[in-house]
Amino acid sequence: MLVVRILKRDIARKTLVAVVVFAFVALSALLVASGSNLIIELSGALGALFEASKAPHFVQMHAGEIDQAEIETWAGANEMVEEQQTVEMLTVDGSTLYVGDTERPERTTIMDVSFVKQNPRFDFLLDLENQVIDVSPGEIAVPIYYRERDDLRVGDTIRVADGSLDRTFRVAAFVRDAQMNPAIVHSKRFVVHEDDLSALHEHFRETEYLVEFRLRDPGQVSTFAKAYASSGLPKQGTTVDRDLFMTLNGLSDGIVAGVVIVLSLLLIVIAILCLRFTILATVEEDVKEIGVMKAIGVGRRDIGRIYLTKYVLIGALGSLAGYLGSLPVNPLLSSNVMLYMGQAPKGVIGQAVPMLAAGGMGLIAVISCAIILRRLRRITAVEALRSGDGRGPGGHLPVFTLRKSGPLGVNVFLGIRDVLQRWKLFGLLFFVFLFCAFVIIVPVHFLTTIQSPSFISYMGIGRSDIRIDLRQSEDRAQRFERLLAHLESDADVEKYSPLVTSQFTMVGEDGVEETIDIQTGDFSIFPLDYVEGKAPELRDEMALSSLNAREMDKAVGDTVVLIVDGQEREMRVSGIYQDVTNGGRTAKAVLPYNPERVLWQAVSLDVTESSSVDRKVQEYAEAFHPARVTDLEGYLSQTLGNTISQLRTVTLVAVAVGLCVAGLITSLFLTMLISKDGSQIAILRSLGFSLRDVRVQYLSRALLVLGLGIGVGTVFSNTLGQRLVSALWSLMGASQIKFVIDPIRAYVLLPSLLMVAVSVTTLLAIRGIREANIAELIVE
Amino acid sequence: MSVLLESSGLNKRFVLGKDNEQRVLKDVDLQIEEGEFVSVMGPSGSGKSTLLYNISGMDRMTSGSVKLGGQELADLSEEELSDLRLTEMGFVFQHIHLLKNLSIFDNIVLPGYLARNGGRSAVNQRATALMEKVGIGELADNDVTQASGGQLQRVGICRALINKPSIVFGDEPTGALNSKAAGEIMDLLADINRSGTTILLVTHNVKVAARTERVLFMLDGRIVAERKLGTYVGNGRESSAREEALSAWLLEKGF
Repeated sequence: MLVVRILKRDIARKTLVAVVVFAFVALSALLVASGSNLIIELSGALGALFEASKAPHFVQMHAGEIDQAEIETWAGANEMVEEQQTVEMLTVDGSTLYVGDTERPERTTIMDVSFVKQNPRFDFLLDLENQVIDVSPGEIAVPIYYRERDDLRVGDTIRVADGSLDRTFRVAAFVRDAQMNPAIVHSKRFVVHEDDLSALHEHFRETEYLVEFRLRDPGQVSTFAKAYASSGLPKQGTTVDRDLFMTLNGLSDGIVAGVVIVLSLLLIVIAILCLRFTILATVEEDVKEIGVMKAIGVGRRDIGRIYLTKYVLIGALGSLAGYLGSLPVNPLLSSNVMLYMGQAPKGVIGQAVPMLAAGGMGLIAVISCAIILRRLRRITAVEALRSGDGRGPGGHLPVFTLRKSGPLGVNVFLGIRDVLQRWKLFGLLFFVFLFCAFVIIVPVHFLTTIQSPSFISYMGIGRSDIRIDLRQSEDRAQRFERLLAHLESDADVEKYSPLVTSQFTMVGEDGVEETIDIQTGDFSIFPLDYVEGKAPELRDEMALSSLNAREMDKAVGDTVVLIVDGQEREMRVSGIYQDVTNGGRTAKAVLPYNPERVLWQAVSLDVTESSSVDRKVQEYAEAFHPARVTDLEGYLSQTLGNTISQLRTVTLVAVAVGLCVAGLITSLFLTMLISKDGSQIAILRSLGFSLRDVRVQYLSRALLVLGLGIGVGTVFSNTLGQRLVSALWSLMGASQIKFVIDPIRAYVLLPSLLMVAVSVTTLLAIRGIREANIAELIVE
Repeated sequence: MSVLLESSGLNKRFVLGKDNEQRVLKDVDLQIEEGEFVSVMGPSGSGKSTLLYNISGMDRMTSGSVKLGGQELADLSEEELSDLRLTEMGFVFQHIHLLKNLSIFDNIVLPGYLARNGGRSAVNQRATALMEKVGIGELADNDVTQASGGQLQRVGICRALINKPSIVFGDEPTGALNSKAAGEIMDLLADINRSGTTILLVTHNVKVAARTERVLFMLDGRIVAERKLGTYVGNGRESSAREEALSAWLLEKGF
């Protein structure tokens, strides 16, 4: 009961301290519970989606003729194959597609739009209830990408119209497509009835096939891929497997979960530092009381129990509050998962992990307290009763004296000097400001980078004004030649670079042949930033994407054996670049290509300064229909739009968290510091220092530490932060992200926000000095 | 001589709880003339320190009036009171209360720099002169831990005088010193008073009070008696005589 009374009084006396420490434990618990919940929901939802859709384990895309009987024979003879099907995708040109209530077609879309019917055996296209879609004639199921982009509803329309055709479909459902959900996958499947598909076949002739397999043992997919590559079966296109589907589907939410958990761990570190600071300050203040307790025979364990009980209470309540707070936050974080993948039932472990994680934060706080409280051992009764005002021996810095302080005002001098002399004490504040600066600046840098036109280099593409992609068609080669001839004579074109991606056969070190997609052209016209080395220039040189290089275990200077014109040719790896498209597995070389194995052709071009990019995009889209013509900004926003939007949310949250943490800790720290400095403040006031003078001193302290924290935090953000972001994006193929920095945002706006937050909190915290009576504070 | 500091009907109450007030000062009237050297004596709990803090503006009185140089303190805001303390008052405390993180010289010039009284070099010169006068000139660059109690109290006196205040207040200025150091400090204060500075001390020590011109005796929050002792010239025999006279008077009064 005595302990309870002491606790109540202690918490009433130091309410702010208790509240701030509680807030940090709660916030940390909330974030770790939400982060772990997001990971559980994501992995559960991914698994459920892939199970419900019976996603294929291996897919070979093919543009061209196909012999289904040959494929079935081969599959039947292959023991690894459990099931096989070939999906026909009818390519619908964007210029004929009208999504929703609009007069503008999808002329400049970068998406390859295909119309399909529901698959019979596996690779089911699901609706938002994860049920297999079944549409009636006249109805259509639309990929979620378009629902989000255009805010579509059931009942809206999709129109397909060119000169000879005008069909309107009613949106009956939205498609969860295990293969093509994410925006970074530039293919989308719309589901229509079989009859409607047949009717559309009359008008659209371009078809692409997905030769799909489900294996008895999904772990054998690499072996199977090699077997297929050497089978002679259709392979005019990219191969993808289930692992890549899962990675692409889970990547942006996985990154969000990772960021949230890292934030929560950093917050718990701050909570522990706060606890350390408050416990030490409290013990110092209470040293006489502790001495009295020891003198009257109260044991060290019992004294420790009084302090520990308070922090156990704060830790337990904080964890509980954090866990309960995470319950309404979880749906916000996992809304993307819910939409694109659906919800999976959570088992007992799924429910328990966030609870345990939240509890873990409280436990960490309590254990830290117990460790810190060990210093109570060192206080003897006599020492404690004889102790003075608790301030250290002080000592002055001979170099930095008031006499030699030059133009610095007295109050600013006193503030700065105090920070220099009590730097250990101010260490907590410094670390917190460093953390806040880091947490705010890194996402802002990343957002600026991903929104900058130079981000295109992480997509394996040199920076140009316009990109023209030719779709698969019978006369593609002729159309390509016509396109090049036109560009050559177009006075608005400053420079252009034709690029052809085709398949080559690579001979592995084990002698097994594999297919590799290689882009050929002149890479000096629109150069790319290389992580290592340089672009291929000679005919025996090639560059690899970083994912390819990692999987093939090749570095600059190594050799790769290709079959070129029927002969083996050793190619030296001249460089490694970053590419987050096409699964991140691409290559570049200066080689003659086999027209039979061309996958796609593209041209990058720059227009002259006097020309309008938008006008040229429209002109080329009409002139070279059905080529896909996009400007750089459009390409980036269509590919990364969803990621940018999520990142913007994460950035806003990070800025809010950073500002709140800076404000809360400043408030806590200064309140305790002012309490500690009570007698010193009284002396200054007795000498004639006004409240304003004292405020300037504390503001100087806070802003000096903030300035140092921002400075070091900025350096860390630009170095460590960059590496952290690179590590996250290396999963997608961009292993060396270099931040594009907006100096106004990073070095003016954000520091100003922090300064305002800290200044306001400082001024609020030091209001307490007004109420203090000088006469009472001066100890006589 | 004109009146420098005066109080009339000065009351101070502390509220300890519901329907529980403690009246520490009760209708205190006093007048201090320019150039006087006055002490306030009384037993513990008589209210002498509270009186000091209320007439110096460090605490707000409950009712009554306090004027310094004709200026009513109750009419001043916190900022104005701070300014008054800085420029017109000096304080010498029992425990000296120097800032431990500044050198001795910096402690002395600190109020001078803040007041911007004639520029920093003028303040530096004044500080140096004061330190020489009180006999601690060699301690300028020392840390506050590198001086004796008596030396530190001299530092406190220099700090109190740096802005040439109208009045210096002392709260048991010799309370933490041995008798030799205490005697030296009182000699110093007497010397300062002879130079024209008005001084008001609070003390329970007869030896200290005996060296002042006038002694006010407080009991239970009121000034109950007053004894004029005349100017202290400053020698050992005179000191003893004054102590005896004061002690006899206190006994006679039953204090």
